[in-house]
Amino acid sequence: MMATLLEAFRMVLQTDVLLAIVLASIYGLVVGSLPGLSATMATALLVPVTFYLSPIAAVATIISASAMAIFSGDIPGALLRIPGTPASAAYTDEAYAMTRKGQPEMALGICVWFSALGGIAGTISLMVLAPPLAEMALRFSTFEYFWLALLGLMCATLVARSSPIKAIASMLIGLLVSCIGIENPAGTPRFTFGLTDLLGGIEPIPALVGVFAVSEVMRAMLTAEPPKLPHRRFGSILAGQIALTKKYVAPQVRGNIVGIIIGVLPGAGADMAAWVSYSMAKRFSKEPEKFGTGHPEGLIEAGASNNASLASGWVPSLLFGIPGDTITAIAIGVLYMKGLNPGPTLFTERASSMYALYIIFIIANIIMIPLGILMIRIAATVLRAPRAAVMPVIIILCAVGAFATGNNLFAVLTVAAFGAIGYVMERYGYPVAAMVLGIVMGTMVEQNFVTSLIKSDGSLWPFFNRPVAAVLAGMTIAALMWPLAAWALSSARRSGRAARA
Amino acid sequence: MLADRLTGLFIIVLGALAAWGGSRLPPVPGQQIGPEVFPMVVGAGLVLCGMLIVAGVGHRLEEEAEADLARITSEFEADIGRPMEERSPWRRLLVLVPPLLLVFYYLAVDRLGFLPTTSLMVLCAALALDGRWRLAVPMALVAPLFVNLVFLKLLRVPLPSGLLPLPWIGLP
Repeated sequence: MMATLLEAFRMVLQTDVLLAIVLASIYGLVVGSLPGLSATMATALLVPVTFYLSPIAAVATIISASAMAIFSGDIPGALLRIPGTPASAAYTDEAYAMTRKGQPEMALGICVWFSALGGIAGTISLMVLAPPLAEMALRFSTFEYFWLALLGLMCATLVARSSPIKAIASMLIGLLVSCIGIENPAGTPRFTFGLTDLLGGIEPIPALVGVFAVSEVMRAMLTAEPPKLPHRRFGSILAGQIALTKKYVAPQVRGNIVGIIIGVLPGAGADMAAWVSYSMAKRFSKEPEKFGTGHPEGLIEAGASNNASLASGWVPSLLFGIPGDTITAIAIGVLYMKGLNPGPTLFTERASSMYALYIIFIIANIIMIPLGILMIRIAATVLRAPRAAVMPVIIILCAVGAFATGNNLFAVLTVAAFGAIGYVMERYGYPVAAMVLGIVMGTMVEQNFVTSLIKSDGSLWPFFNRPVAAVLAGMTIAALMWPLAAWALSSARRSGRAARA
Repeated sequence: MLADRLTGLFIIVLGALAAWGGSRLPPVPGQQIGPEVFPMVVGAGLVLCGMLIVAGVGHRLEEEAEADLARITSEFEADIGRPMEERSPWRRLLVLVPPLLLVFYYLAVDRLGFLPTTSLMVLCAALALDGRWRLAVPMALVAPLFVNLVFLKLLRVPLPSGLLPLPWIGLP
């Protein structure tokens, strides 16, 4: 144990790893703070870079950049009322109201301080939850993995802020995309239309870059430039945060716990954690009437929650290769690329790497405080960068990044195609995150499904007669039935109301 | 709602094609379950979802989520997120610029080289975003060079040099 821990510290305290953490943090802070550029996009554009780093440095870049981007999305939210990332949208109103009351330091201070605390709480949950779950996962067979993967996909559709039917359709489209190529149980070319480029299938990373980056640039083409941030001088940013920490213990703990739970759920990520926590803060508050007028309580709870979910999202990703959210979906790709294949054995055979990962999480959340304060102070200058300068660079990064991951020009076409697909889907209310999870998990779902069917000789009974499999099956079916039940309930209530009126 | 009917119909067709295409795949000799099962299951699911979408199930939930988001961004609607559709229908075609630029990269990069190709891309994209020439031209000259140097020096990824090799700054 002690030796592993020392080994882990030795792995993290390398020049390249530390440099990667600092550079990725700065990158994450800048990209996250620009409206329209989300944390997922920041992470996706980093993947080609991680390709050329050592495994620990690669994981460190992903962790630091995503944590910083989730926090810095709060900056334009508080100062301009434009969320920098979707994860900040839930409490943008509240933070902006504080700025209008003349307390921008307080609002941003809460964002940076409680983001860091939330991130550390999430890391602790990862440290505590992962090993016992790994023990359990060692005994899983293909039946359990099949249900687990399906449950992950269902969670992704449940939490989408959209019609659940459209979310399921998006997810199925993702699964269909994963069918392309020869990577299937029989090794037959499937849906390749005779194109050699399609034999290898659609790589998840170019698809992700297209869906999250290119479609964002496409959207920018049709919308007006966001307003410029006025220069202003900030007072002390951390002043009063300790007092707030002591005063709002309950919201903070609740935010951390909700964030951790939502993060662990496969498919549900930071955006959802922030929405749920903000509305919980309001419901449990002693002074709910103050919400929306620049009251710190909701900000504390939701700000802690979205960062906590980020770390706990790594639990299902590391254990089962089932992404906790879109950011860990990217991280899984990087883990495979680096030979750290997700699975329970990661915790027994590569324990030092796992400890190194925890240490990186903690370092990233600690340096978030000084770097975050610095970023807040220079935000007015950074946010002045015109879109006509930022977006073109993103396009060339998409092109060169997609090419660099496989030395294959076809990937650039994949990026373009998925940019267009993502744009159209988003426009008509089909959540793209569900499709991305479908693409990432498709091969795994199919493999476990088909292997299980072969083992059971076509019978469905063994899918249900192992205890863990039965529980997971029950949860999956409940997740599938939930939208139906909610729909039936609300329409019954509505018709009841109509009958009374 | 019309959009829902159209996209729902598209999903039905896509699902049907997937199931049909899957069913035509050759089976594995001596085994009941082959590569055809999964596409058929997914295709059937898509057909079902498409039918529900055409029927308008779940539309109300979507409206609620939209109302939530609209409440938050209402004040700034005039500045961000609002489509500029009223300007001119031609402007809406600009949305195609980013994917088309990527296709251009695919076609041109090996012949023209990285620097000329991406310079043209940056120029086009910046102008399409209402950037002034005064911003677009310097960006087109500096950004590709910077990206090339980062990839070559820090990550050691050579990019095609094509027409414009620049050995004096270390680009092959």
